[in-house]
Parts: sequence; structure tokens; C-alpha cells
Amino acid sequence: MLRLFLGASAILGWVFDASLVVRRARRGPWRAEVAEGSMAPALLPGDWLLLDPTGGHWPRPGSIVVIREPGSGILAIKRVAARGKSPELEPRESWLLGDAPAGSIDSRAYGPLDADALVARAWFRYGPPGRIGRLR
Amino acid sequence: MRLTRQLRPTTVVRAHCDVPCGIYDPAEALLAAKTVARMVEIINGLEGNETATRNKFVRCVTVKEQHAEKVKKEVQVIWSDYFKPEHLEAIPDLHTKVWNLLKLAGKNKQNVDAAAAADLVAATQEFSDLFWSTKK
Repeated sequence: MLRLFLGASAILGWVFDASLVVRRARRGPWRAEVAEGSMAPALLPGDWLLLDPTGGHWPRPGSIVVIREPGSGILAIKRVAARGKSPELEPRESWLLGDAPAGSIDSRAYGPLDADALVARAWFRYGPPGRIGRLR
Repeated sequence: MRLTRQLRPTTVVRAHCDVPCGIYDPAEALLAAKTVARMVEIINGLEGNETATRNKFVRCVTVKEQHAEKVKKEVQVIWSDYFKPEHLEAIPDLHTKVWNLLKLAGKNKQNVDAAAAADLVAATQEFSDLFWSTKK
């Protein structure tokens, strides 16, 4: 099982490294590790995620995204609660929330985010072995 | 091993919150308020003018002031860091309540007043109840 996981993720890793070379113009990140717990239980610290850094448009509400946090500039991972179109947001804006609402630093702290702050969409968890699967 | 190293995520994304993640508890404030009340009770019960009594008096006053200050600090942290605008919709008079609580704590620092101490305990209990009402 472990060997299968290593093999499969090795191929995935190479595919992504290859695509990284191909898409030299777009700098990743393609793989990220989660730290801290504000997305629990969907994401836990130590989860390994595959990212899709293409875009420039907010994915649909419910998607998990990596953003450049205003002010601190750190890479943060949150969930899109609402995006443009909804009356209180500008077309390129999105409202982000952590899943664990109590202490999460998110749009309630820094307000809506422009699409410029979007770094990537997280779409797949490739580790740890027991938790591999598409993100939802 | 080389494989796993290649597969490792290249970045860390933070699902971060106030550190430590979402651990707020008004229990400390409540305990401090009750300590203030207990100190007032002891001070008011002191009799005589021996050195031992005077020593106890000074110690009780010191503890009373320290714990009144602790009530302020604990309540202020929860007020500023935990409560978010959406909580204000459910508790519109939160700011006034906290303001009065802090003033009450100041009053207990200045005086030895059993009624004020009882008010402080009641106000801190109410603050605690408000806090837990947002967790439901």
C-alpha cells in the first residue's frame, strides 16, 4: 500500500515537476503543506496538497484557496464563502472564511480580497496516505 | 528517501488563526473576579491591629488589586481578539457591557466594596455567558 502510494505520488510529483518546467512562465507553488488548524476538519496540519496556481479568477464558493494575506503577506489557506456577483462584493472580490470559525483570521479580519491576492486553488490531498483524495 | 524528498511540498500554507488556535476561555476572568470578592470579604472581616493582621491586610489588598487587573486583561483580550462583527449582531450592547465591566474592575481596585465586588462577579459571569452563547 505504501509502495503503491509512493509510486503513484512519485508519478504525480514528476508530472507536476514536468509541468512546472513546461510552464516556466507560471511560478508555482504546486505542492503545499498545511500548517495550523483553522481549516479543520477538512484540512489538518501536515496535509500535503496539490495546488493549481493558474487562474486569476476566484473559483466557485466552497473551493479551498491559497491566498497572499493582506498586511502580513504570508501564504494562507481558506475557503471561498462568496465571490463577485453577490451584491455586497465587487466583481473581482471574494469573501474568505476558515472552516473552524472561532479563531480563524480571514475576511472577518481583513475584509474582502481582490483576485490579485489569489495564489492557487487547492484541489487534491496526496498525503498522509490515509487521507488521500480530492478536496471538497 | 530521495523520492519522498522530491515529493515533499515546496511551500507551507497556513490555515492560521489567533495563536493558539481559538483557545479563549473567560474562566480565568471569572476566577479572578471571584478572588477579588473573596479578598474584600477577608479584608472586611479582619480585626485587631497586630503585625500579623496588618500583614494579612496588605497581602489581601495586593491580591485584590492584582486580580482586578487580571479581570480587565482577560476580558480585554477576549473582547478585542475573539469577538467579531457578526457577534455584535447578536449582542449589540457588547461594547457597553465590556466598558462597564472594565470600569467596575477599576472601581474594585480602588475600593474595598462588597457590593462593587458582587457586581464585578455578576458582570464577569454575564460576559462569560455571552461568550459561551456565541459557541452554540
